[in-house]
Amino acid sequence: MINRLLICIYFLVLSSLTASLSFESLSLHFTRRAFSTVSSSTLIGLTTSTTSTSTLSSSNGEEQYWNRETSSRKQYQDSKPISQMANIICLSDPHDDANQRLYHGNLPKGAQVIAVGSEIDHFDIGKLKEANANVIFVSHPKSREPLAKLIQQVPSIQWIHSRSAGIDFITSNELSNCGAMVTNAKGCFSSTLAEYTMMAISFFAKDLPRLLKQKHSKTWEKYCVEEIRGKTLGIIGYGDIGRAAGTLAKAYGMKVIALRRNPQNSQGDPICDEVYSNDKTSLCRLVSKSDYILCAAPLTPETRGLIDEKVFSSAKKNSVFINVGRGPIVEEDALIEALKNGPLKGAALDVVATEPLPKDSELWTLENVLLSPHNMDMTETFMHEATEFFIEENLPRFLRNDPLLNLVDKVAGY
Amino acid sequence: MSNTQYWNRETSTIKQYSTPVTQQANIICISDPNDKANQKLYEGNLEGAKILAIGSQMSDFDIDLLRASNANVIFASHPNSREPLKMLLQEIPSIQWIHCRSAGIDSIASEELASSSVLMTNAKGAFSSTLAEYTMMAIAYFAKDLPRLLKQKDDRNWEKYCIEEIRGKTLGVVGYGDIGRAAAKLAKAYGMTVKALRRNPQHSQDDPICDEVYSNDKTSLHRIMSESDYILCAAPLTPESKGMFDEEAFASAKKNCVFINVGRGPIVEESALIGALKNGHLKGAALDVVAIEPLPKDSELWDLPNVLISPHNMDMTETFTQEATEFFIEENLPRFVRNELLLNPVDKVAGY
Repeated sequence: MINRLLICIYFLVLSSLTASLSFESLSLHFTRRAFSTVSSSTLIGLTTSTTSTSTLSSSNGEEQYWNRETSSRKQYQDSKPISQMANIICLSDPHDDANQRLYHGNLPKGAQVIAVGSEIDHFDIGKLKEANANVIFVSHPKSREPLAKLIQQVPSIQWIHSRSAGIDFITSNELSNCGAMVTNAKGCFSSTLAEYTMMAISFFAKDLPRLLKQKHSKTWEKYCVEEIRGKTLGIIGYGDIGRAAGTLAKAYGMKVIALRRNPQNSQGDPICDEVYSNDKTSLCRLVSKSDYILCAAPLTPETRGLIDEKVFSSAKKNSVFINVGRGPIVEEDALIEALKNGPLKGAALDVVATEPLPKDSELWTLENVLLSPHNMDMTETFMHEATEFFIEENLPRFLRNDPLLNLVDKVAGY
Repeated sequence: MSNTQYWNRETSTIKQYSTPVTQQANIICISDPNDKANQKLYEGNLEGAKILAIGSQMSDFDIDLLRASNANVIFASHPNSREPLKMLLQEIPSIQWIHCRSAGIDSIASEELASSSVLMTNAKGAFSSTLAEYTMMAIAYFAKDLPRLLKQKDDRNWEKYCIEEIRGKTLGVVGYGDIGRAAAKLAKAYGMTVKALRRNPQHSQDDPICDEVYSNDKTSLHRIMSESDYILCAAPLTPESKGMFDEEAFASAKKNCVFINVGRGPIVEESALIGALKNGHLKGAALDVVAIEPLPKDSELWDLPNVLISPHNMDMTETFTQEATEFFIEENLPRFVRNELLLNPVDKVAGY
């Protein structure tokens, strides 16, 4: 009886603590000089309630997310005993080279792969339930439907890990409503995308198209180049990728301004000179001040079609738009219009609304567009590394009931 | 030479002058009188200084008048300054100081200059950051296979392919001066390993930007070539550096090495470079400078697909020459007229 009372009191205290944390983050004053640009009316983005994981991250956020360049590998050998098994279903291509270690290699003790397939028919649900399948590793591009079905039919699922950073390819009502934890590959691909961002900026600043044309015609004609130093990079979606790009941009001597759902999380950020909240006015303001605009946001119901005609018409004259987030965040017709008639000088797109880009898209023909087939993070080993992250970082944590890295907010969608 | 003797556009602070002028500067400009970048200089509102003559050929200068006016400073910005400079040095003993508007002095170097006792300064540190930006672009051009991207766009071909990371690769900087260091700084921000080769390796002891520094000898050159994924030549052209990148050097290159030149064309034996590009010793090259500029139309470099050529303009911003002239007006001229130590002294014998 006393125990139950104590437990009730414990939970009461815990929940009130959590609530007060949420309120605290809502009323934070922005004391950095740059925050004067963020008025109280632009705190709209903060009313969307963040899950307990996000509020926890404000106190020890560094440990909760993985960054390939800066996180240290944890040593697990026998230091802490495992407390549960991991019976893994792989929603994957059995011939996927990058997953071979998962399928055939040494997994941490207590973990085993019990099935590999890409369609619901590939799985014997009865056997999965019998084997107490509790983990799903998702890497197949067409995983949305099979995942939703597995969630419904195998109630023992506790954890779903996405091999990629974007989870827009597997979101569904079933996923949002289920009790399973979802983790992803946040922080695994950021630095190559930062490298691509600076290349895209240089492509336009040094007029690489002109250089190549002049080479073709054997013309030696001097022309003025633009400096990158001193220009402004505006980042829409200031997550791991956005920050990696911001870090490089700062090394070049650029000014960095950013827009994110939780601007208070960027307080004291040495990389970011100004941070804006996620509302239309702030977005238009950010682009009006940027020489280069980088979209590094995830695709969520909130960001779909976010960058539209209104945003492009607010852009600074001769600005360059770079997209490494997701194609549907941009209204592609509005983008094409802005590229043809201004104010955009050009665009560099690693992602587009429909991939592969249909052959009749005008984007192929516009001279001021740099296109890449969503491969600017695709190194020879990146997928292997993403699978390794699952095997070496999160699997050992799951087996020991330790907090997993890279928890995803299923409702927010990233 | 201490650090305060050299100018860096990104880090040096502008000095304020409160002490009185102690000597007059009587300036001869070996320049194009229509050069817009020099307007501020030609207008002549200079403290303790006046412009005596502006010209680019020997016939433009009245030697007797210049001697009588005690000409003591020469500002050289004209590409064909070598001969007029020689003549002026010989004919006008009162010349104390020559300032070269550009960083490279190879276009005005001569025996007469090397053996004279005049002070010489240049625009070291004025152009480095844009060349560092170009260096990273050149690296990315090959790492992300930009040529392939552009071809695929032309063909409307959506074909994924693997790209290379820049992080973790090695940049070998040959000629670790202001430009080399600016490039190294950016390379470090990308997570590259940086190795450098310079005449005075002891100056790079404890250099946080450079992981290893080599001395300037053939063995070390071959070594840095064999260890670097990207080689940046940022050296000045001197009798010592001329032709240093020869067949042997390129044969020592690491597999898939990319060669980038922002120094001077003649530092490279161009036929050896072309050979290495054709036989695969080099994956590619990015050249902002070539042996003969403009590059002759019959040069094979135009046709090689793995070469990125720029017309020696990768430091050419709209304001850069103006800024270089401003450096003379705002930094060294005030120092000269107050008999203070000038910035960016050049070693006329070494040639840089």
